[in-house]
Amino acid sequence: MSVQQPSTVEPLAALPAQTGAAPLPEWTALGPVLALVAAGLLLLLWDTVFPNRRTNTELSVIAAVGSLAALALSGWYLAAGTGRPATGGAITLFAEAITIDGLALFFTAIVASVTTLVVVASRDYLTDHETPGEFYSLVVLAAAGMALLASASSLATIFVALEMVSLPSYALVAYLKENRGSVEAGLKYFLVGAVSSAIFVFGISLVYAATGSLLLSDVAAAFGDLGDLAGVAGVGVVMMIAGFAFKTASVPVHFWAPEVYEGAPAPVSAFLSSASKAAGFAVAFRVFTEAFHLGGEVTAVGIDWALVFAVLAVVTMTLGNFAAAVQTEVKRMLAYSSIGHAGYALIGLAAISAGGSHNGAVMGASMAHLFVYGFMNTGAFLFIAMVERWGVGRTFEDYAGLGTVAPMASVAMTVFMFSLAGLPPFGGFFSKYFLFAGAVFNGFWWLAAVGALNSVLSLYYYSRVVKAIWIEDPTDALAAVDSRPTALYGAVIVAAVATVVVLPGFGPVIETAEAAATALFG
Amino acid sequence: MSDWIAIGALAVVGIGIPLGMMGVSALLRPSVPEQGKRTIYESGEVPTGSAHIRFNIQYYMVALLFLVFDIETVLLFPWVVIYRPALNAGVPMARLLLPMLAFVGILTVGLVWAWRNGAVEWMSSPRAMRRKTERNQP
Amino acid sequence: MVAPEYYLLLAAAVFCIGLFGVLTRREALYFLMSVELMLNAANINFVAFSAYYGDLTGQVFSLFVIALAAAEVAIGIGIILVLYRNFGVTDVTVPRGMRW
Repeated sequence: MSVQQPSTVEPLAALPAQTGAAPLPEWTALGPVLALVAAGLLLLLWDTVFPNRRTNTELSVIAAVGSLAALALSGWYLAAGTGRPATGGAITLFAEAITIDGLALFFTAIVASVTTLVVVASRDYLTDHETPGEFYSLVVLAAAGMALLASASSLATIFVALEMVSLPSYALVAYLKENRGSVEAGLKYFLVGAVSSAIFVFGISLVYAATGSLLLSDVAAAFGDLGDLAGVAGVGVVMMIAGFAFKTASVPVHFWAPEVYEGAPAPVSAFLSSASKAAGFAVAFRVFTEAFHLGGEVTAVGIDWALVFAVLAVVTMTLGNFAAAVQTEVKRMLAYSSIGHAGYALIGLAAISAGGSHNGAVMGASMAHLFVYGFMNTGAFLFIAMVERWGVGRTFEDYAGLGTVAPMASVAMTVFMFSLAGLPPFGGFFSKYFLFAGAVFNGFWWLAAVGALNSVLSLYYYSRVVKAIWIEDPTDALAAVDSRPTALYGAVIVAAVATVVVLPGFGPVIETAEAAATALFG
Repeated sequence: MSDWIAIGALAVVGIGIPLGMMGVSALLRPSVPEQGKRTIYESGEVPTGSAHIRFNIQYYMVALLFLVFDIETVLLFPWVVIYRPALNAGVPMARLLLPMLAFVGILTVGLVWAWRNGAVEWMSSPRAMRRKTERNQP
Repeated sequence: MVAPEYYLLLAAAVFCIGLFGVLTRREALYFLMSVELMLNAANINFVAFSAYYGDLTGQVFSLFVIALAAAEVAIGIGIILVLYRNFGVTDVTVPRGMRW
């Protein structure tokens, strides 16, 4: 609401300069977010103009074009080095409320690619629905919120963006209004989400009370000299950790995840467990490195948050993996595995220390892991969406022999499972390897050891799916597999290809992520 | 500290007056228990049915659409406060107006969508009508 | 001027009342009201310390919080509505189709 500061000259050079043309104006750094918002509004308008036509395909195409545009823009900016220290540093807009840097663009790319896969797959998942217009616009607008969350650099914009993600998500989870599972999941997601966002905003209010500002840079400056209000700030930081734990589905606010991912429509589960989680980590990385940086007064306040995150990471990954191992339903197993992966990604916040030499490396590896996870986990949930559409059951036994009737998709599912487990030939192996290596180099060998042990355990339950698909004998239930939903099939295959292609292309991904993370510590 | 004494005295008086009036009238009035005193007063009419009826769910839709405008006003307040001083300080008018217009425009898109999808159409439900008339029979 | 500690105490008390309501009430509408209390506790802090620091950010942000709270209630009532249609109750502990 404040008047924009007159734009300065030097950040303009940070935008990709077209050959022979002037650099783009500053606001175009928000291009990916604007593309998503425009697509969401266009979807609503389209639905307004043609409300009675069966517009499922058209709506899906609009949503996919919008998210692809966001992906292309963020990829272009990343390649051109927008917001990097080398090209003039991060671009700040709206009186520093929004910062576009490597971190923001990297996570925007993750969110945009997951959104593309989800909206394409939804075309076949929603064929029976009368009014899919609101579904697509909610997905795309939630994605816009996630992209904004990744670039928010004031506690005010962070909270607004967080709610922009949460509110559509509640509606999306309960989208199947006639389905009791979906409604129950929506209710539980809403109950936990509303309480966590209230706790989160109270934490923000305490931080504001102690520091007198909502801008992350001002908060960081004020944390140097808190005086009597240090305790207030400390409580605020702890309450904000609870808010992040909700968004990323990690302990102690993880218990909604299995219910919600199981009950929600499968494309929505894919969207929440990949994109929403990534956005939560994006903002956690930014807040805890920029505002509550280690080595300042925070430890004097009494909260060594890296230690808090270390404990949370260990508990989260152990709990997620052990619970996943005893599940009988594939979707619920994936939900617990999603909690486990939140634990791995938390290592990026846990294994850093004030002045640690590999802080950027370990956080960058965590970002790269979330990137790979975006593809493999989305693909796995979309495979489940396909199985749900066929009407095959939900348990491991029901999946028996799927490889004989749907070989292509089953190969893709095998790729996802082995990649999630972290087996060498796939993308998941590299990101985990860099993550654990970074933790070891930074002196947190025990975190890496716990992570490696958990990965071994996870191989057990992921391979159960593969065993059911390929080795066990087909049952009668597979007679239901009669159609080939083209878009859903395509999305699953693209996700599988991306998981494999990351193998040769992992160099640029990890370099970009590490550069973005190192800039945060700079 | 004197401020606090004033506030405390105000609180004591504020709580004391109604309590005192209720206590005094309880002591003075005669007690005549009668059924008619407990019925709902409807301008002398004999009340029919229960006051605990379920409201039509379509009121919720109207309330929701009202909320859009309600919240819009709240968020426009800071903009209004800053508009005149910023204009006087030489900020171009387009720069001041465009953000607000974009904000209202986004809300309009949502409102038009809801309107077109039947959020404000007052559907008459035969079942609800029948139940309402049945309930009003003595 | 009232010392800021009192506002912190007031906000903490309101927050705890809200949290107590969230944890003990089974009725969905009471849940919404309790969450509203928790959000307004944050608003007390924002407005009080906005005045204390002479900085308008907190007051403007409390307007945002109010707006978001209203949006959250709108979504919440929608979900409670489909809950009632599917389960016939507004008691949040009734839906137990999945293991917690």
